[in-house]
Amino acid sequence: MVKEIERTGLPVVHICTVTPISLTVGANRIVPAIAIPHPLGDPAASHEEEERLRRSIVEKALKALSTEVDGQVVFTG
Amino acid sequence: MKLTLGKIFIQDIVFSDETRLESGVLHVNPAQYEQLVLSDDKISSVSFDIAKPGESVRITPVKDVIEPRVKVEGPGGIFPGMVAGVETVGSGRTHALSGMALVTAGPIVGFQEGIIDMSGPGAAYTPFSQTLNLVMVCTPKDGIEAHEYERAVRMAGFRVAAAIGELGRDVEPDEEIEYETLNFVEDLHLFFDLPRVGYVQMLQSQGLLHDTYVYGVDAKQILPTILYPTESMDGAIVSGNCVSACDKNPTYIHQNNSVIADLYAEHGKTLNFVAHIITNENVYLADKERSSNQTAKLCRMLGLDGVIISQEGFGNPDTDLIMNCKKIEAEGVKTVIITDEYAGRDGKSQSLADADVAADAVVTGGNANQVITLPKMDKVIGTLDYVNKIAGASVDTLQEDGSLVVELQVITGATNETGFNKLSAR
Repeated sequence: MVKEIERTGLPVVHICTVTPISLTVGANRIVPAIAIPHPLGDPAASHEEEERLRRSIVEKALKALSTEVDGQVVFTG
Repeated sequence: MKLTLGKIFIQDIVFSDETRLESGVLHVNPAQYEQLVLSDDKISSVSFDIAKPGESVRITPVKDVIEPRVKVEGPGGIFPGMVAGVETVGSGRTHALSGMALVTAGPIVGFQEGIIDMSGPGAAYTPFSQTLNLVMVCTPKDGIEAHEYERAVRMAGFRVAAAIGELGRDVEPDEEIEYETLNFVEDLHLFFDLPRVGYVQMLQSQGLLHDTYVYGVDAKQILPTILYPTESMDGAIVSGNCVSACDKNPTYIHQNNSVIADLYAEHGKTLNFVAHIITNENVYLADKERSSNQTAKLCRMLGLDGVIISQEGFGNPDTDLIMNCKKIEAEGVKTVIITDEYAGRDGKSQSLADADVAADAVVTGGNANQVITLPKMDKVIGTLDYVNKIAGASVDTLQEDGSLVVELQVITGATNETGFNKLSAR
């Protein structure tokens, strides 16, 4: 899906846990998620901590979306 | 470590007033085992049934398949950490009730439970159509959580299997096989001219009902470690998972691991089977990285020349598989991987979610998406209530004539990744 949407000219950020698979299938902007059953949350975290986690991932993804890339980049920072 | 495995060939199973094992015939008084099951207050009722090869019988939803065994000599008991103490097992003498299986079934736990057909086209795909099956159908108490029910049925299966195995304690086995693994120094001297080969077994450990236990420890909490290959024959590794039926390893398969059996068959002849390395398949990327790093390290530490890696399940564990493969190869150790494929119903899609050039020797258990029609059976043990919901089925599975249109995914053991299945290439 990432590749098909990008083919139309829209940039895509792939938020995913298993970044090596994302690299294998050819996504260009990759943001690491938390875990496969809960990519954007953490059931072990407090409500406040989880909100902070979610926000940081979404903000990282928005930043990645607006970043020019030359090839595949995993946005870990 | 040396284990003598005595196989008692079970010729028949019959219900009887008295439970006994006589001349290869297992006489079972179900009432005797009911209490063993119902001692767990999470289970409200249990019924026993018998399914024999060739009968028009369908068993579903299948949770686990277990071979009854008993520890006759040597430390510990069968299923250590589960229903026995935590002594290290795998030495001495074990008797197995061979040719039969205890199958646990009951209302669905996690949508990924299986079907065993005892005859018809489906029977050709499951190894458990060839065993005499004592089936234990457990019904949970109302209102309990899925994971509590899973645990209750899992543990009840081990209790009953251990109790039935006990019947073989004083029986003279029909066949005896000796398995021996020396310590690393001894085997290096004895087999100095043979290639050193290990077995890396990946254990399903994704959590949420997708778990495996090692000496009672949840495998997602282990660091990769080394076992003597005989330990799993005594039930050191057990299934607790509701992963797709075709490629999960029921406890029976851990007890009768084909890779271990085949490596032992060549041990001391064409190769030196050094060790059984176990690792996990967790859902955090850091866990996947850590476990594959440690597995590669162990292969290097053991001075292995080659390893066979078996996967369990599919999807994100494909990444664990590829990480193991490329990191072990990077240590200079050759690998062969055993997996299965989800290549779509037409077989034209990418088979694995991940890939690497290092994975240049691959054995496949088959395409789990292949569609098959399973004709109606005269008798169902368990229930068809959930058959449209299990993984590999769809809302259109149950046909008007009672037949099922399903993917091989629903059949217990169909594309097993230890080679314990029946598919082969023409």
